[in-house]
Amino acid sequence: MAEGTRTVLDMRGIEKRFGDVKALDNVGFDLIAGEIHALLGVNGAGKSTLIKILSGVYTKDEGRITIGGKVFDLGSPRAAIEAGIAVVQQHPELVGDLSGAENIFLGHESSRRGLFSRIDRSDLATRANALLARFPIDVDLSRRVADMPAVDREIVAILHALRLENARILILDEPTSTLTEREKASLFSMMRMLKAAGIAIIYITHRLEEVYEIADRFTVFRGGRNVACHTVTEARTTGMSIPNLMLGTGGGLTFPPRCSRINGDAVLEVSGLSCDGMFRDVTFTARKGEILGIFGLVGSGVDELSKALFGVFRPDRGEMRLHGRPVSLRSPAQALRSGIFLVPGDRRTEGLTLNENVIFNTTVANLGRASFGGLLRFGANRRNARALAEKVDLQPMRLDRSLRGFSGGNQQKVVIAKGLYRQAKVYIFVEPTVGVDIGARSKIYALMREISQDAAVIVISSDCDEVHGVADRTLALYKGAPVGGADRDMSRDHLLHAGIMGGIAA
Amino acid sequence: MITRQLGMRLLAFAALVALIGLAFWSQSAAFASGGNLRSLMRHMSVQGLAALGLTFVIVVRHFDLSFPGVASMGAMTLGWLIAAGMPLPVAIGGGLAVGLAFGLVNGFAIARLGLPDIVTTIATGGLAIGFSYFYSNGTSISQNFFMSGILDLNDRKILGLDMPFAILMGTALMGAILLHASRLGAGFYATGENPVSARFSGVPTRLLIVLAFALSGMMACLAITLLVASSGAANVTAGNQLLMPAFAAVYLGAALFGRPSIGATLAGTLLMSMMLNGFTLLAIPYYYSDAIVSTVLITAIAIFDPRVSALLRGAVRRKGASA
Repeated sequence: MAEGTRTVLDMRGIEKRFGDVKALDNVGFDLIAGEIHALLGVNGAGKSTLIKILSGVYTKDEGRITIGGKVFDLGSPRAAIEAGIAVVQQHPELVGDLSGAENIFLGHESSRRGLFSRIDRSDLATRANALLARFPIDVDLSRRVADMPAVDREIVAILHALRLENARILILDEPTSTLTEREKASLFSMMRMLKAAGIAIIYITHRLEEVYEIADRFTVFRGGRNVACHTVTEARTTGMSIPNLMLGTGGGLTFPPRCSRINGDAVLEVSGLSCDGMFRDVTFTARKGEILGIFGLVGSGVDELSKALFGVFRPDRGEMRLHGRPVSLRSPAQALRSGIFLVPGDRRTEGLTLNENVIFNTTVANLGRASFGGLLRFGANRRNARALAEKVDLQPMRLDRSLRGFSGGNQQKVVIAKGLYRQAKVYIFVEPTVGVDIGARSKIYALMREISQDAAVIVISSDCDEVHGVADRTLALYKGAPVGGADRDMSRDHLLHAGIMGGIAA
Repeated sequence: MITRQLGMRLLAFAALVALIGLAFWSQSAAFASGGNLRSLMRHMSVQGLAALGLTFVIVVRHFDLSFPGVASMGAMTLGWLIAAGMPLPVAIGGGLAVGLAFGLVNGFAIARLGLPDIVTTIATGGLAIGFSYFYSNGTSISQNFFMSGILDLNDRKILGLDMPFAILMGTALMGAILLHASRLGAGFYATGENPVSARFSGVPTRLLIVLAFALSGMMACLAITLLVASSGAANVTAGNQLLMPAFAAVYLGAALFGRPSIGATLAGTLLMSMMLNGFTLLAIPYYYSDAIVSTVLITAIAIFDPRVSALLRGAVRRKGASA
């Protein structure tokens, strides 16, 4: 093809089968130089299979991949890199003790001759500066990566992927999932700069508002097929519903109806709770029959607050009352005994035993109930796990499968199943839908509403729309301090303003 | 599907047993003699008890390098109590109490104070060896042994089984119930796989880590009790031979069956004991057999390591695909 064509990537008729399952079915996908192209779809729609084929992790069964006018086979990660494809994983692996520049050129350090010669640091700096000249970004690459904020680590990972001259396609897999709003803004400005430098970006995200904010075009995958490809302008003017495209049904992301009966019994009363350096003077009442929402960005103290309510941290001041009785929690075990259950913000490290199956995970949540005279009740535990899995709509319904084999949304459903097995009186959900696809999200919100019929539910999140959409009453936490009383219902904009600026907008 | 996988693993284990057995039997017909098989089982009883205790520590993803030293001190305590004319149950109880005490110290230091397990247990093990010299300045103790009845632990039979093997089987049964059928067992695995999520689920992780170290210390002392009974004397170096075979048995079993468990440890112990017994029978010097045990250990660790096993599987698959 002639130079001057702006298409950098053209994939046609791509097929990929895993056993009997067609993960990709005659899929086409194209990318134009200097565009940001959002790749959307619920988990299992085929977008990660496509990305893995592009990055050489999987080999395609059928189809043709043309990059810059040349046909490539992409049989291995190395072949993909040589073809100019740069991938940034969802959780990039960086060496915390090395500087940003050292991480970028890791394994490609230039050294003076000889096996034991020292790494040539001045050359490293020169190359890092050359890279920054190509992609002018405000980042200090001489800092240790461990000391960097999350967004700088992401930038280091992106520069690492783009360190080779020939890189022209950049794949970003949910880079914003751990970033604050402000960090997200600086990541987006970097993406715009890369775009101006002619890099084509494939951007995978679960957050649709980001598509409107940053992308030029988007492609929607559903059931292993490419079902739609539009420009964002098109989507805006026609008012098409991306959730509908993703789900293929009439329903998009729907929040369950709010509760009609407010002022149920007060279950958890918190007054003046403070943890030095984390949060201060938090006061609220969580009632049975309703959902209390707390909005706070990463670093606002919300995660620490959730852990203080669960006995992980001991508060320095303040009081907690459960059903009117003061409680002082010293451990999660004691919180659980008192009837408080935490759906933690990081389900992989805090919520689940990933190498074990569904039965084990639910059983462990309440070993007292799962055993008789100290011995496990195997039959009853399997029956209970099945009932819980049906209740949370686990997909697929495979009780003997290790949790690693489930999508993020279904792993989260297992955490909720653990909570149901506990039969708690207070449920605290932290970031309940991070990395959860839109189909599972609606189900999780519905479950939260259902749980609130018999218990107090608190949802803590850095997603303002989530807090506003699902909760009956809301408050925000800004730099550790609460903004707005929980007894009034803030509008979405008020809540957003409170959490981001620390004040109630006029 | 799970049962089919277990079937495959059992088959692989049986094949290994047959292979090793045939190899030694072809070299020396005495390998399959009744006398030798009984001595093999006796050897397996001592090693197996120590390995069973270690299994709990490995399940909670820690290391115990102190049990050989602790076992030596247990042996000397046992010998000293017998020599002092104490009744046998008291003497055995005294030996086991040493294991319990050191296990509790290990567990407290590691689970409560957060000290690193390897260094801590090397230190406590060294401490125990030091203490074991106190009783007799390092000479072996055998006074009163004939009268005390301790030798019966080695010589008598119960239900047609040699006493040591019966003790191993009984302990393994209790261990299996504890680790695989009780709420504590589920807690052990949860603690090892993901301590944070276990704690957030209400599992008493610290208590379980302490318990695992306590079991390791006690079972090492139980193992050494059988060894003292068979040799008729308590020796300050008695525990030295426990370390490597116990680790090798646990890791070999875990490599064969996918995770550490009571059954896996027994299987690993059988394989290790067959090899050690066979080498002895062929009069191969002990230092060579030590080297072979070490090779088995490192191979088993490599196979048990998920990254290495994934690598091996990948290599096999690529080979199969290209064929």
